[in-house]
Amino acid sequence: MTTATTATDTDLLRAMRSGAADAFAALYRRHQGPLYRFALLRCGSADNAADVVQEAFMGLLTGRFQFDPLRGQLQHFLFGVARNLILKQEAGRQRYLALAPDRAGNEDGDDADLELPDGQACPLARVLGNETAEQVRRALALLAPHYRDAVILYELHDMSYAEIADICQVDVGTVRSRLSRGRAALARRLAAWRNLDTISA
Amino acid sequence: MRETDTMHTPDRPQHDPLFDPLRAGLQDVNAPPGVEQALMQAFARQFPRRRRWYEALSPRGRAAGVGLAACMAVTALALALFTLHAPRMDGTPDANLDTHPDAARTLAAYDADGGLFIALEPLERIEREPSLRMVETDLPRSSLDALGVPPTPDNAGDAVRAELLVAADGQALALRLIN
Repeated sequence: MTTATTATDTDLLRAMRSGAADAFAALYRRHQGPLYRFALLRCGSADNAADVVQEAFMGLLTGRFQFDPLRGQLQHFLFGVARNLILKQEAGRQRYLALAPDRAGNEDGDDADLELPDGQACPLARVLGNETAEQVRRALALLAPHYRDAVILYELHDMSYAEIADICQVDVGTVRSRLSRGRAALARRLAAWRNLDTISA
Repeated sequence: MRETDTMHTPDRPQHDPLFDPLRAGLQDVNAPPGVEQALMQAFARQFPRRRRWYEALSPRGRAAGVGLAACMAVTALALALFTLHAPRMDGTPDANLDTHPDAARTLAAYDADGGLFIALEPLERIEREPSLRMVETDLPRSSLDALGVPPTPDNAGDAVRAELLVAADGQALALRLIN
């Protein structure tokens, strides 16, 4: 369809606001994949990721989330919305976890006890046939959320420091340090698992 | 306002090959189809298609609505004819009938033996006609559209029994429907 392939996001948004269903469908199909993959890796649950994607687009449709084309790209805006929705979900979960303070994660990103992203809990594990991919996913899921954002957006979504800074509403220096610490934590964890594998073998 | 670090930042990320298998594994992962379905339903609620009034009715109600409209059109037509032929209640003469008393008398004479005639031609033309004859015929219902009785898809193919007042040259001057 011509609308889906050639029109810019701004054109599609304008058409969507005047009631063109095909424009809204084209926008959704253009952005849902990356957004869903980000949400899936970020929150570790397929259901939650689907909810986040649906809520982000619903907000775009109803005007709850106002996108201003002068302030950046729609994709970055949607990632920012998705991230905020995930943070809100996590804040709700944190209130619950506050009842058990000894389970809270530390600032260094090694909050391994906070979540248990085992293969059975996440359907993504079934999708990822590759063992290395699954190990990286599990290690990623154990990173502190602010490190996870930076690593996912940089390594898996081809975003620059400036784009990540825009999405996460932090400065570029913070992105750089989060990325560096996130990678280091990831490497430590993967190395530890590989040592365990070697010993058990 | 947020501070921006102006130090070197790569235009495009230099990826760690460690993530390549995960990237490849995620390539074809998309949101479940139910999400798009729910969003399109929400869109339809947000921008409801403008429907014509009869589309809001059920098929049965739609037929009833069309029937009602047809009845109203026939009633309006009958009232118009009654107004045309009936004597004025306030005693003032009807200008049209006064101008063409012969035509009015002609039509009234035919009206007397059942049902009102609808003039298809101007009264001057009827008045000028020296010999009228009555012809009974079946007319397609669609031909009544011009008289204010629109056909419906259900009855457009039907025929309607009618009587015509025909001039000597075969021109139909007036018409009345027989039930």
